[in-house]
Amino acid sequence: MRFALAQGLLLNDALAALRAIALDVSRVTPGGRRLVVDGGGNVEFVLARPSDIATYVERGAADLGIVGKDVLMESAARVLELVDLHFGACRFVVAAPRGALERSLDEYRHLGSLEVATKYPRVAEAHFRARGLEVEIVKVAGSAEVAPQVGLADWIVDLVATGGTLRANDLAIVEEIAACSARLIANPASYHYRRAEIAPLVEKLADWASRSRSGANQ
Amino acid sequence: MESGSRRPLLSAPRGFRDILPTEARELRVIEQALTETFAASGYMPLEPPMVEYSAAQPTQERLIQFLDTDRSLVALRPDLTTAVARLVAQRYRETAGALRLSYFAPVFREEPAMTAGEREVVQAGVELIGASGPIADAEVLALLVESLERCGLRLDGATIQVGHVGIVRRLFAPLAEEPRSAVLSALRAGDLVGALRRAHEAGMPSEDVTRARAALGVIGRGIEQLDGDDVRELRQVVHLARERWPSSVKLWGSPNIGLVPALPYYTAIVFEALHPDVGVIASGGRYDLLIGAYGAPRPATGFAIDVLRLHRALFAEGWRPADARPLVTLHSGGDERATMRCAASLRAAGLSVAIGDVAETAGIALIAAEVVDERRVKLGDGRTIDAATLARELAR
Repeated sequence: MRFALAQGLLLNDALAALRAIALDVSRVTPGGRRLVVDGGGNVEFVLARPSDIATYVERGAADLGIVGKDVLMESAARVLELVDLHFGACRFVVAAPRGALERSLDEYRHLGSLEVATKYPRVAEAHFRARGLEVEIVKVAGSAEVAPQVGLADWIVDLVATGGTLRANDLAIVEEIAACSARLIANPASYHYRRAEIAPLVEKLADWASRSRSGANQ
Repeated sequence: MESGSRRPLLSAPRGFRDILPTEARELRVIEQALTETFAASGYMPLEPPMVEYSAAQPTQERLIQFLDTDRSLVALRPDLTTAVARLVAQRYRETAGALRLSYFAPVFREEPAMTAGEREVVQAGVELIGASGPIADAEVLALLVESLERCGLRLDGATIQVGHVGIVRRLFAPLAEEPRSAVLSALRAGDLVGALRRAHEAGMPSEDVTRARAALGVIGRGIEQLDGDDVRELRQVVHLARERWPSSVKLWGSPNIGLVPALPYYTAIVFEALHPDVGVIASGGRYDLLIGAYGAPRPATGFAIDVLRLHRALFAEGWRPADARPLVTLHSGGDERATMRCAASLRAAGLSVAIGDVAETAGIALIAAEVVDERRVKLGDGRTIDAATLARELAR
């Protein structure tokens, strides 16, 4: 059974969760060069970029994966979301320059459309379509938060954890789109076909997630 | 036209592809096995049109649409079950009793770019309309198993999984209609986390949420812990369908409560054929409300096999079609009239003959032959042989 793990911010928490359910993650070295490692038993771990995890699992190259809900929303991969692991919490938000909300809504009334810069065009488009707002999505590869300052866009859609980056760039949250956290995902066919192997892991991770959450709330 | 913009026109549009003879020949073998199996159970072939009105589709997602010249919005058919339901409501309005219909045809769905997604999928399937009850569900389920087996697919316990949308719906019965349909659409999208969260937020007691979560994980014999008419129905359908192979040691049908297909119109028994390398090969189930959307309601059940995925699964298992009879390539000795007559006499003896070279053989063995006269050819080994003798030799 192959288990895909996202490199980067989520990896240490994911490894802690897997260790807590007694999987052998000792050969996984964050930042290491070996990307496919043996996890004991019949488990193999594969490390990949977060946005590739959804692809691996959707196409069955991995049976299970741990990845942020943000990545799942942007990729629209057809995978099963089995457990909210609660770590890696962040939010998709719409943000605008502080104090500029009235001005941009006025602009919207006169010009009929707003420009929105984002690294997450699919999430942004779905959100504004559901809200019935006409926007022009400007896709950027990084640092959407500078877009309003340089006149690239009126608003941005971005992923925020603490909101520090927004404040530093004099942006304020207009509205929240969705709260995100890490998810245990499965390939649909693998989940049904290999349930006997997968179900115990899912149960243990669900227990771990609810315990770690109630621990954090105390 | 600029030379730079010409190149894209040489390939098929994104998500569509050419099927060349080696593959096409294998698909024909599969097509023949499937259509014969369907016919042997009384299913009559039909061919709905390639294009349907967009507004008549149960879901607007993933349609490949365009404006017709009368400005109505039309879509390449995304699904044959819907097309058959529409057709039956219109063309069989006055016909009472059971309709057994089958098809083998492409359907078209939009796929996100750059995901290797195919936009054209070939479906083979049946619809049993006007019949209800476990015997009808079992007939269709058993026919799916038989169809896959006749194509040469190896089946085992986990291959065919059977669920029941009614059981899933009942798990969320405490909810009002609106949040419940939101929960079900999250489940159809595979979002178990989101479904349970929505149920919780809509006020479902947490012990009910926990119970629903556990029930959605029930597979195989675990179903014996559950009760209800729908659970009994599911068990009965699996047992009845297995009666088709009373002495078989293979247990190919396995209950799976968490099986919720992506398509929204299923109402009761649902099932999927899964392959470890390829994923979902076929899916189907009961859709008693779909035909009612187009006319008088009628109970209905059916399945569709994704033929290209079935082919992929067969290939992964090492399946190859039985060898076609070899092809004689006939080379003229200069007398073209004699060549034409010689080809005719070889064909009359039951041989396949091409005159001249054949560059694409699709894996078929070639027998090179040179025309001697109207009835005889000279083979590569130097023998001169007449048509009937050659046909006898190649038949061995």
